[in-house]
Amino acid sequence: MDLDKLRETAAEVAGRDDVKYLIGWKKGSYGYRIAPAFVEDVEAAAELIFSPLCTANLATYLTLVEKLPLPRGQEPDDRKVALMVKGCDSRAVAQLLAEKGIHRDEVIVIGCPCPGMVDPDLLAEKYPETEEPAELKWSDDGFVIVRDGEETAVPRDELLAEKCRLCRYPNPVVSDIMLDDPVETWEPAEDEGVTEIEEKEVDGRWAYWQEQFSNCIRCYSCRNVCPLCYCQDCILDRLNPTWVNRSVNFSENTAFNIARAFHLAGRCIECGECERVCPANIPLGKLNRKLAREIRDKYGFEPGLEPEGEPFQASYKPDDPEDFIL
Amino acid sequence: MSANYEPNIVAFLCNWCSYAGADLAGTSRVQYPSNVQIIRVMCTGRVNPLYVVNALQQGADGVLVSGCHPGDCHYMEGNYFARRRLGMLKDLLEFAGVDPRRFHMSWVSASEGHKWKEVVEKTVEDAREAGPFEGFRRRQIDW
Repeated sequence: MDLDKLRETAAEVAGRDDVKYLIGWKKGSYGYRIAPAFVEDVEAAAELIFSPLCTANLATYLTLVEKLPLPRGQEPDDRKVALMVKGCDSRAVAQLLAEKGIHRDEVIVIGCPCPGMVDPDLLAEKYPETEEPAELKWSDDGFVIVRDGEETAVPRDELLAEKCRLCRYPNPVVSDIMLDDPVETWEPAEDEGVTEIEEKEVDGRWAYWQEQFSNCIRCYSCRNVCPLCYCQDCILDRLNPTWVNRSVNFSENTAFNIARAFHLAGRCIECGECERVCPANIPLGKLNRKLAREIRDKYGFEPGLEPEGEPFQASYKPDDPEDFIL
Repeated sequence: MSANYEPNIVAFLCNWCSYAGADLAGTSRVQYPSNVQIIRVMCTGRVNPLYVVNALQQGADGVLVSGCHPGDCHYMEGNYFARRRLGMLKDLLEFAGVDPRRFHMSWVSASEGHKWKEVVEKTVEDAREAGPFEGFRRRQIDW
């Protein structure tokens, strides 16, 4: 993608009177790090980038903003927020719109067609991080790592993130401004991680998740980073009634993870952020993707495609499958 | 598994159909297993899927949710929502390694005392086969 065009457009949008700030990606302080950039003035738009390292889903900042009660006599700031989105992020925006978590006239969506992101862990493992910030670029058949002016070409399959291998919508589904021509979609890979667990016996699955969930330290990063976890009153924080106890043990961890996955059933847009931020490396995405797959197969529903559509759990069809009912 | 193991079943019944159906089973002297602890709710649409998880955590070996037949809901559409939600929960629990025989859902109307008996028998039988569900009990320290 042409970075000059991106910065030009961003500067133009951030300079508008009715825009509060623009959220994009910028280079982090070291290695492969990327930081979110909140561009309030035109000059700051010059540091924006879009590279294969921009895995973070910025749509989460739309609902993360703290809305304090206004002092008397003060007018609310109803300027818009501009947001740069990849394909998956745009589905988060569409899902938020469908749930009326945000309003369409509150956001300006700047679409970045995404040829696929790298897996930051995999990248750091194969090409160790240095103190110097490194850059990544897309080439015709993969990625190019640029460090100290030295270019290393890497084939696409070696570093492509799991969520991108499974991606079906690399082009933004909602956008006001598109920064580039749509990329060519690729054949999504078979979701082996989920199939592998499905094929296990019940006890094997229980043992597998027992091993994974007992690592959980209940930091709730997965909830905090999720663009669709934005309840003001989250059941995990609530004490009366206590839905999930706070003690860190296997029973509560399992209940927490089931609750988290269930609350995203029919809503998860598979951006893979929960998995990326998890300090215990629990494959949370598998739970989400399993539910998404079931819902796609059984109910023919996919979240985050229709901003005007009805949310999955708030609607029904009279002929929903009921083969599980006695 | 001990020889005299009796499963604990928690059943969430909707006030208008299944609870009345269970009542009918009682008044018509239909014999059914006594392992079921009935919790009356106003509609299956009000059964939070976390109730099921919580019941399993607190000592249930099986959970049953029962409501009106589709189209018969006292609140017009509550059981349609429940069907979607709990169907997904069943998939999720199964994926997480909970035996699918531990969670059942059924439609029992107010006139189906005999169906209620069959449903309970099936639920208890399944829970008995699946055995005591020790792995998910609350306050386990030895993991």
